[in-house]
Amino acid sequence: MSAAESATAIQKNQVDLLDFIDWSGVECLNQSSTHSLSNALKQGYREDEGLNLESDADEQLLIYIPFTQVIKLHSIVVMGSEEEGPKTVKLFANREHMGFSNVNDFPPSDTAVLSPDNIKGKPVVLKYVKFQNVRSLTIFIEDNQSSSEITKVQKIALYGSTVETTDMKGLKKIEDH
Amino acid sequence: MVLEATMICIDNSEWMRNGDYAPSRFQAQADAVNLICGAKTQSNPENTVGVLTMAGKGVRVLVTPTSDLGKILACMHGLEIGGEMNLAAGIQVAQLALKHRQNKKQQQRIIVFAGSPVTHEKKALEMIGKKLKKNSVALDIVNFGDDDEGKTEKLEALLAAVNNNDTSHIVHVPAGPNALSDVLISTPIFTGDGEGGSGFAASAATAAAGGVSGFEFGVDPNLDPELALALRVSMEEERARQEAAAKKAAEEASKQEKSAEEQDATMTERGNEGASEADNKKNEISDDDDTSLQQALAMSMDEPASSQDLQDIEMSDAAAEDPELALALQLSVQDSTKDSSSQADMNKLLADQSFVSSILASLPGVDPNDPSVKEVLASMQNQSESQQKPDEDKVPKKEEEK
Repeated sequence: MSAAESATAIQKNQVDLLDFIDWSGVECLNQSSTHSLSNALKQGYREDEGLNLESDADEQLLIYIPFTQVIKLHSIVVMGSEEEGPKTVKLFANREHMGFSNVNDFPPSDTAVLSPDNIKGKPVVLKYVKFQNVRSLTIFIEDNQSSSEITKVQKIALYGSTVETTDMKGLKKIEDH
Repeated sequence: MVLEATMICIDNSEWMRNGDYAPSRFQAQADAVNLICGAKTQSNPENTVGVLTMAGKGVRVLVTPTSDLGKILACMHGLEIGGEMNLAAGIQVAQLALKHRQNKKQQQRIIVFAGSPVTHEKKALEMIGKKLKKNSVALDIVNFGDDDEGKTEKLEALLAAVNNNDTSHIVHVPAGPNALSDVLISTPIFTGDGEGGSGFAASAATAAAGGVSGFEFGVDPNLDPELALALRVSMEEERARQEAAAKKAAEEASKQEKSAEEQDATMTERGNEGASEADNKKNEISDDDDTSLQQALAMSMDEPASSQDLQDIEMSDAAAEDPELALALQLSVQDSTKDSSSQADMNKLLADQSFVSSILASLPGVDPNDPSVKEVLASMQNQSESQQKPDEDKVPKKEEEK
């Protein structure tokens, strides 16, 4: 049931937020230089199973994604392999320049523990109310499915809607008088 | 030109009183720090540098990352020597200081001067290194002083843990006549990962490199800096001029390549005798090496037809690969310099038959006994003579050809 719900929700009014990512500000801490964030985020790269985002010194990853517009985040898809894919994913809305040291100082906007289904592509529906006014998103991948040294992420996709488009429609209605 | 925030960790422990680095380890270190601050702030005006001391009563931040060079230099005054260096704490405090930098877009870098023994375990240092790497902080280590208790090993292990894509470096400076600053200038710590660094660093580097590693122009920059500078500047100017000339020749070559076939040998001669001696020398050196050396030789060889020579140098590079192309290029060179006075000189030389045939013999891919070459030679001779001395030499030349 919930799977059907989320699927239809995605079809209805949620779009892939790939177009609204501000690529100049995207950062990823502890990524391996050969397997970088683009492999997981960018169109085409993320569909390729051979191209992964990999962690470097240990299994944690801290991804910072700013957006060009204010958006509402509905759900995310995090795909990876069964052993080395991410498990605990914490999301922070509108927190800039976090580091690994202060990542546990704030409560996350939402936490997702990825099941094997999720890791294969099933979207995780988030607490929508927490993500109504998102300028930037920080994704903290705390550990992976099998607690191995390296975390490998094949795909990260964000689904939601933009805030500004809604506002424009609202303006038009007023002008009709 | 990378936008960077740097924290410099200074060792002000008791070991710094030692005089094995002139005038004392501490003074040498201070000089090096001053130089690094200058280089960093010059390479990008938005760079910031901070300083902290690791020994004394404890780790103390003297100045938080700032782009104000005066403030940084001022804080270096009145530093006291004493205590033991705490490397781990120093690095961690540096990391914290960088974390709170004002401009988050700056890359983070820590430069550590390790002039006294390292008491930490290798494991502990590796953990610190890993943490730095995780937070994308680069680390440069200046290892000087004595190597006791496996200091070098430990520092190398630390570097290996931190290093991500060669952004971190370690430099070992042994005690000796060379100042600490001079040795550092030529390292990537100064030059910033091979970008070329600032003009400041580059000019200091060439001066130091000239002094240390044997004299680029045969002149000791320490003894006669003005002369060394003048030589270097003139070399660079000449290089720039040659590049411009080469570009121009290349453009013309592409236009005239097709029509060059028949008169190839002719043009080859003209080109070569204008820079004949220089060319032979260059061929000996081997065209594929060191264009700059060839250019320098050309310049010293043949001043009047200098622009001619330079174009021929580029030609001789091509000649090794494709004789026809070389000939075509030389044709275009000839056309472009038709009005130069050296043309007259060339024609005179051309008149000397023996000289010309010796040139031809030295050319790659041109066989003087080839009938087509001989034909062209004849027609060329006629042409050149008609330009200069209308009738007189024509008849004897013709007879020689026959």
